[in-house]
Amino acid sequence: MQLTHLNTRGEANMVDVGDKQETRREAVASGRIVMQPETLKLLGDGELPKGDVIATARIAGIQAAKRTHELIPLCHALALSKVSVEFEIDVAESCVNVTSLCRLNGRTGVEMEALTAVSVACLTLYDMCKAVDKNMHIEAIQLDSKHGGQRGDYQRLSAHTPIVTGEGAAGEVTLGQRCSSPCVRVKFLAELRERVGESEAVVSLDQLTSRDISGLKATLAARDERFKQLTDQRTLCAINQVMANDDALVTDDDEVAFFPPVTGG
Amino acid sequence: MANVDIKVAIQAAPFAMGYGYDDTLAGRSDIGAIVSFTGLVRDFNETPEVTGLTLEHYPGMTERTLTEIGEQAWQRWSLQAVRIIHRVGYLAPGDPIVRVLVASAHRREAFEACDFIMDFLKTQAPFWKKEHSTQGEYWVKERHSDQQDAARWR
Repeated sequence: MQLTHLNTRGEANMVDVGDKQETRREAVASGRIVMQPETLKLLGDGELPKGDVIATARIAGIQAAKRTHELIPLCHALALSKVSVEFEIDVAESCVNVTSLCRLNGRTGVEMEALTAVSVACLTLYDMCKAVDKNMHIEAIQLDSKHGGQRGDYQRLSAHTPIVTGEGAAGEVTLGQRCSSPCVRVKFLAELRERVGESEAVVSLDQLTSRDISGLKATLAARDERFKQLTDQRTLCAINQVMANDDALVTDDDEVAFFPPVTGG
Repeated sequence: MANVDIKVAIQAAPFAMGYGYDDTLAGRSDIGAIVSFTGLVRDFNETPEVTGLTLEHYPGMTERTLTEIGEQAWQRWSLQAVRIIHRVGYLAPGDPIVRVLVASAHRREAFEACDFIMDFLKTQAPFWKKEHSTQGEYWVKERHSDQQDAARWR
């Protein structure tokens, strides 16, 4: 795996995206700021000294997304078609959850813009509340999903999402367990399950020849002849239940499913 | 998308022939057209004597895919309601498999959106059919014509 922001000499390098095709790109990022319950109540009631905290943080997040290229050295300036920043006050966890969606038709992804919007919205919340609470902390700033582009779509599995793995009879899939060391859980569905004779496999991340779908296919094929049919062009693949191609990256705890062309309806 | 009214269901149990109508029409008088499609199990397909079929799906991804297809239709046409229900498990000839129902102010949008949703359901939603026949059982092959139908909308 090559880091695209480094050239062959290992120096910082802005990627030339001139030859890439324009596609519709979308990214969703989230993060949160944890604070004292009393601070959260003041924020919810609009009684903080600096005024309407949420509205200010929303504008800050949107502005930040538009200026990402000024902050992150090798980012391209993008003509965003949509930026939204949403806030959810979570009393149980005593925090504010921040989510940003960025979208454009272009040649490069918008995940940095979404992450920047969330970061700056959290910082603005901090600034607006710091007069009453110095113990706030910002955490879990992450990419939740992205759509479009060369490597295809990505969807982070939330801790609340039921993981669908385990022994499955036709038409049924049962819940499985998460693995302890970094790994991906692989499922074989429908006719493919019958042809490989298994419904699931676990592959540890360090066993992979490369950390993408083609690497996963190669690793499985080396393990057993039967998995060679995964490289059949008709075989489809989804990572965390979003369609993926051979270049798509796999990360710890991903659920990867291989299946034949669909025949519903 | 304001007031998006899309409902998606996957179930093993049969659904009523009127499924989707009451729920869509309740308390409103702004709907001008409802178009619905119902797919049924035929007793002939790849072999002449089909005795039944088993539908498998990928729980989670199926619901997400159908919702996304509904949302694409919602963005493309001016719609008032979208209902998609698909059965899984064992089905006998004559059983309804799928219902897509679209409500709009005008018939053209409802017809087109319903057609669009079915084309993408058939080519993108993770369902697989295994047919049982007097000659044994086999997995149904995908059809090139379904891909061509979906390509019309690009």
